Amino acid sequence: MMKNCEYQQIDPRALSVSPLSAQSHAEKTVQRCRRKWEVFPGKNRFFCDGRIILASQSGVLPLTLGLIVVTCGLFFAFDCPFLVKHLTVFIPVIGGTLFVFVVFSLLRTSFTDPGILPRATPDEAADIEKQIDTSGSSTYRPPPRTKEILINQQVVKLKYCFTCKMFRPPRTSHCSLCDNCVERFDHHCPWVGNCVGKRNYRFFYSFIISLSFLTSFIFGCVITHITLRSQEGKSLVQSIQESPARYPYYTSIHIIC
Amino acid sequence: MAETHSLHDLQQPTVSSKVFVQRDYGSGTISKFQTKFPSELESRIDKQQFEETIQTLNNLYAEAEKLGGKSYLEGCLACLTAYTIFLCMETHYEKVLKKIARYIKDQNEKIYAPRGLLLTDPIERGLRVVEITIFEERSIGSGR
Repeated sequence: MMKNCEYQQIDPRALSVSPLSAQSHAEKTVQRCRRKWEVFPGKNRFFCDGRIILASQSGVLPLTLGLIVVTCGLFFAFDCPFLVKHLTVFIPVIGGTLFVFVVFSLLRTSFTDPGILPRATPDEAADIEKQIDTSGSSTYRPPPRTKEILINQQVVKLKYCFTCKMFRPPRTSHCSLCDNCVERFDHHCPWVGNCVGKRNYRFFYSFIISLSFLTSFIFGCVITHITLRSQEGKSLVQSIQESPARYPYYTSIHIIC
Repeated sequence: MAETHSLHDLQQPTVSSKVFVQRDYGSGTISKFQTKFPSELESRIDKQQFEETIQTLNNLYAEAEKLGGKSYLEGCLACLTAYTIFLCMETHYEKVLKKIARYIKDQNEKIYAPRGLLLTDPIERGLRVVEITIFEERSIGSGR
């Protein structure tokens, strides 16, 4: 949704008059229509004219990217030449494809809106409060925390969000780090630097799956590399010593997975 | 009283109140809005007309969320290309959302604006409510 550049705040004054004629009229003070991301109340940061959204703290996203790039770099630099010579040229091709998949999925997960619900407008918040405050008590009473609705004849409690001033739809949760209600909220992933929710779940899932394949693939290639080297007459220890000590990187990637 | 109104005045209709049509979760979590006619609109618009608008909206949202062969194919293709294909083409859901935006604009121009009402696209409110703004009745040439 952030990609669509036409989004502006709904201005009731634009009801019967098109914005162009309104702006050309000298009497009316022209107000530049501010983009939604410029007035966004949550803690997210926006780049590229609102096309990219990130959480307030990028978490360890640079670390994740760094680990992936460095590991793959070492793989391509040291294992591939050997394996291409001894096995097949498809090893770097598959590795490269998986690497591209992983990076694209990761960036897509990090930079996509997870399904943030816009906060209730002041009018809507007032309407909700009016609806529950039917007793007419003069003292201010905060709205009740839950509302029960029937979904397919089953009673479900909807919770009230005090920050967003609305009753959250089912499976929506408020992320305290980003200060937003997110639809089908899974978790806030620090590795990815963003929440994982309804709208970026598919990217997150493909990131995890492709990363698993990538690390298994690299691990398999490394084992094959060492085995082949040791079969050439040298001992296992010597083989490991010949290749740079990059195994901490591989193990750390496995831990992340 | 002056019979001519400046364009300035005509540009600023006053908001009288807002009505919120909530989601109808009776048939599950699909996007559907309640077709119950709000009492505040009784003097402004025909009940039939209003219900027809909401029903059409519900049908359009059902069409957007429909899972069929086309959406599966779209999903598989997207998965295989690491979702880069979405940089070039729109998803079926996005296409129907645009259709809904056009429908609401059309309804506003033809039916709601002449009656002093304004429908807000539910996507602006996160598909939680259909916000209907009721403007004060202003007739041209009326004494102030």
